[in-house]
Amino acid sequence: MTEDVNLNGGQPLVEMSHLAVTFYTPRGTVRAIRDASLRIERGEVVGLVGESGCGKSTAALALMGYLPGTTKVEGSLLFEGQEINEMSPAELRKLWGKRIAMVYQDPATALNPTMRVGPQIDELLQHHLQLSKSEAQQKTIELFTSVKLADPDTIGNRYPHQMSGGQQQRAVIAMALACEPDLLIMDEPTTGLDVTTEATILDLVVDLKDRFKAGILYVSHNLGVIARVADRVVVMYAGQTIEEAPVRDLFKAPRHPYTAGLLSCVPAPVSTENSAVQLSSIPGSVFPASLPTEEACLFAPRCPMAQERCRTEVPAVFDAGGDHSARCFFWGDVRPGIWGTDELRQEGERGEVEPVLTATSLRKRYGHWERKYLFFGPWVRPPVRALTGVDFAVGSGRTLGIVGESGSGKTTAARVVVGLVPSDGGQLTLQDEEMPSAVQDRSRSQRAAVRMVFQNPKASLNPKLPIRHAILRALRKFAGLNRRESLERARELMEAVGLGPELLDRPPTELSGGQQQRVALAGAFAANPELVVLDEAVSALDVSVQAQVLNLLDRHQDETGTSHIFISHDLGVVRYVSDDILVLYAGHVAESGPAESVLNSPSHPYTEALLSAAPVPDPDAPPTHIRLPGAVPTMRERFQGCFFAGRCPRKLDGDICDTTPPPVRTGPRSSKHVIHCHIPLEELTALQRNGTST
Amino acid sequence: MLRYIIRRLGLIIVTLAVISLAIFAIVEILPGDVAKMMLKQNATEESLDRLREQLGLYRPWYERYFDWVWGVLRGDWGTSYVTGIPISEILGRRVVHSLALALFALVFGIPLAVLAGIWAGIRPDRLADRIMSMVGMVGISMPEFVTGVIFMLVLASKFELLPPTSMMLPGETPWTRPQILVLPALTLTVVLFAYIMRMTRASVIEVMQSAYVRTATLKGIPMHQVVRRHVLPNAMLPTITIIAANMGYMLGGLIIVENVFAYPGLGQMLLFSIQQRDFPLLESLVLLIAGTYAISNLLADLSYAALDPRIRVS
Repeated sequence: MTEDVNLNGGQPLVEMSHLAVTFYTPRGTVRAIRDASLRIERGEVVGLVGESGCGKSTAALALMGYLPGTTKVEGSLLFEGQEINEMSPAELRKLWGKRIAMVYQDPATALNPTMRVGPQIDELLQHHLQLSKSEAQQKTIELFTSVKLADPDTIGNRYPHQMSGGQQQRAVIAMALACEPDLLIMDEPTTGLDVTTEATILDLVVDLKDRFKAGILYVSHNLGVIARVADRVVVMYAGQTIEEAPVRDLFKAPRHPYTAGLLSCVPAPVSTENSAVQLSSIPGSVFPASLPTEEACLFAPRCPMAQERCRTEVPAVFDAGGDHSARCFFWGDVRPGIWGTDELRQEGERGEVEPVLTATSLRKRYGHWERKYLFFGPWVRPPVRALTGVDFAVGSGRTLGIVGESGSGKTTAARVVVGLVPSDGGQLTLQDEEMPSAVQDRSRSQRAAVRMVFQNPKASLNPKLPIRHAILRALRKFAGLNRRESLERARELMEAVGLGPELLDRPPTELSGGQQQRVALAGAFAANPELVVLDEAVSALDVSVQAQVLNLLDRHQDETGTSHIFISHDLGVVRYVSDDILVLYAGHVAESGPAESVLNSPSHPYTEALLSAAPVPDPDAPPTHIRLPGAVPTMRERFQGCFFAGRCPRKLDGDICDTTPPPVRTGPRSSKHVIHCHIPLEELTALQRNGTST
Repeated sequence: MLRYIIRRLGLIIVTLAVISLAIFAIVEILPGDVAKMMLKQNATEESLDRLREQLGLYRPWYERYFDWVWGVLRGDWGTSYVTGIPISEILGRRVVHSLALALFALVFGIPLAVLAGIWAGIRPDRLADRIMSMVGMVGISMPEFVTGVIFMLVLASKFELLPPTSMMLPGETPWTRPQILVLPALTLTVVLFAYIMRMTRASVIEVMQSAYVRTATLKGIPMHQVVRRHVLPNAMLPTITIIAANMGYMLGGLIIVENVFAYPGLGQMLLFSIQQRDFPLLESLVLLIAGTYAISNLLADLSYAALDPRIRVS
């Protein structure tokens, strides 16, 4: 790396200094970036990390020179010594695609749906490199090969919707690499993809970085992802870059209290001992982008170390030595302990408990067979089998975590439990009493006993009504309180979820995402439920807020003895909250049982692959090797043998996995631990031990 | 794809069957006596009775319905009560007239409206966009008969460039005297322009803001290529639906325009058949118009599929 720098006379590839970007919108002024400085050298990956609204995506677009015309840009942004902010559209167009290229957050929307994927890359090559059509096609095939797409010769003939999310993102990366740009900007390229897909894309990025001499700016909110790919990391908060350091230094010895806070908010996915430690959270909320920058440290109101000076004086960026700098007066005093992480969680007693809810061989199919020609012809298009005989139980006062990729059936399972989609078969038993499958057939007390919290609180609260409606309705309907009592109880609930009762009269639009989700929780708790189903309820939240909500759930469960079903794609979060874990794949149970049994070997090969794929927020974490290519099958076909055989990395020789459904095996540590696999458990244990050591 | 077309044609047949039953039912409960209308004041009870017997009005409704359907299927659409001319003959001529007018409006009006919509949508809120949005607004707010009369007054009466009415003498067709088509087609164009232009504009604006157009722009390819290859194929999808919906209207719903200019198309005939209680004619007309709507919708969906691989390849 140092050689590259010298070759170019010491001039960095990108030098951003004191950049400020202000958007003037009809709804007010948004100070997206207040003061951001960073540099990118050739051949290095700079990770840009921060929570939503910190300005990281705006910084990426500013680097492309792609900001709307009404935007005010101050400061300087040099690309090879040229000022991007002063370039004409024609000059920018010469850079775009050729010298600077971008990979986008959602590959499904970043590709033109009406055009085959190959020609979308061909046109770029034809324009910038003046290649003929057939030369461009040849080069596109080479690019597909270099991003490790299967069938590179023919995959370009597909339309975007005929590709999986991972394939789409590889095609977008191939497009970005087409002209061998000097700067590659990756804006949350794996957000929205399954962890298994994410892991394969991250492998590709790591591989590209070695083969390829471009500077890469990798923007992400996910510290685990940053730890895996970045050489150097820049942290942003409220439009300011607040810390910059080589990746190891940043994760081992953060010099800004915010960075230290972020690191202590993330639950580690695998290591069992850590789950006993309470997650710390960052109180308060981000300095609003609508306000002008104050003569103070913008993080001071949330900082455990803040002193008088922080509230009256703007901290400069201090050099902490070794290429490490932080925007904090007291950078020398920052230690992981400042956020009080040493508190141990109160673990509920581990003994046997009565189940609150038992689900027995739940079945759910979507769609139905159709005739090929309306009223005639053979039957075609089998229904999608979202659940095929799934069993689980939620212990009283316990949390059942459900994990699996998208398409695994976990959301359907949640909806069947609350009755939003009636099951086609199987039985739900709530406290020894059978519960009808459709919500309208359930008794009032059954409806009160099972409540649900959705992923997107904004969509589940009426934007026109003050938030008290969401809570009061549940109180009147299920708790049978009168007007005065319910208002009183609503105030208590607001306090229980850590919100001021004065917020009751505000519309949801005035609340942040984390506050809205806590209102949704208060609404669910209002009915005094036995069971709360949380479907990706913290997935859309920033890590600092996510930790608050997780701790809140934990505390509420300890106080009231409520049971939870917690669905998430994030294994770390599931590990942190769950007593028991259910691993679903293609509508089948792969593995289920007590959390520590499921997450330790022997595990089902699918669980093992999920664990292996989960990014760990530690740059020194041993690399994992098990990868699942492709995606969950469509579930229209009926599996002859094992449901997982098509993707299983540990598939046995011979045809037993393809022809015979797997037996149910009971784990060695707990009789509740079941694994559906042909491989004997001793062998699985041996394989997995070897797998982790090599 | 073939499977899809077969399914859709099957659905059209079902639709037409339901519609034919519905018209028949409505005609049954409509007040007014055909026999009285036909014989006017010189009707006696006896002659009325004879006429009703002759027309088969005393037979139960289902027998008449199935007779009619069977006739339609064999190509015998019956005879108009009022004029005594076979309906297929009347309709044949009128369909040609309506098609001529629709084609005229389609060929000139729709490309104009689509181009204007694209122009306005690519650079919204510029002067060109504002002018075209205003023209569109005026076109949409003015009733057809006002627009038509204004054109008639200016182009026919004042400057005498065009014939004021579009009546056809026996033996004439639109092809022998195409100038009679201009005024009604112009009026139609004004009405259609507003709808189609606005729809195109809105979808162009939406597509321009999509992530894939940003991807295309940030490839550094020229703007015209971004518009041609990435914006248009996606933005035309909703426009096509609007055009198809208007096809049915242009072939059968032009009651007002055709009457303003006395143009002998299907719309004029529809009004005549209702006023005269000429039920076999009315029933055939409604069936024909419904069929046109259904088929132009099918054509719209097929062109939709041609443009959108997500529908075509699945």
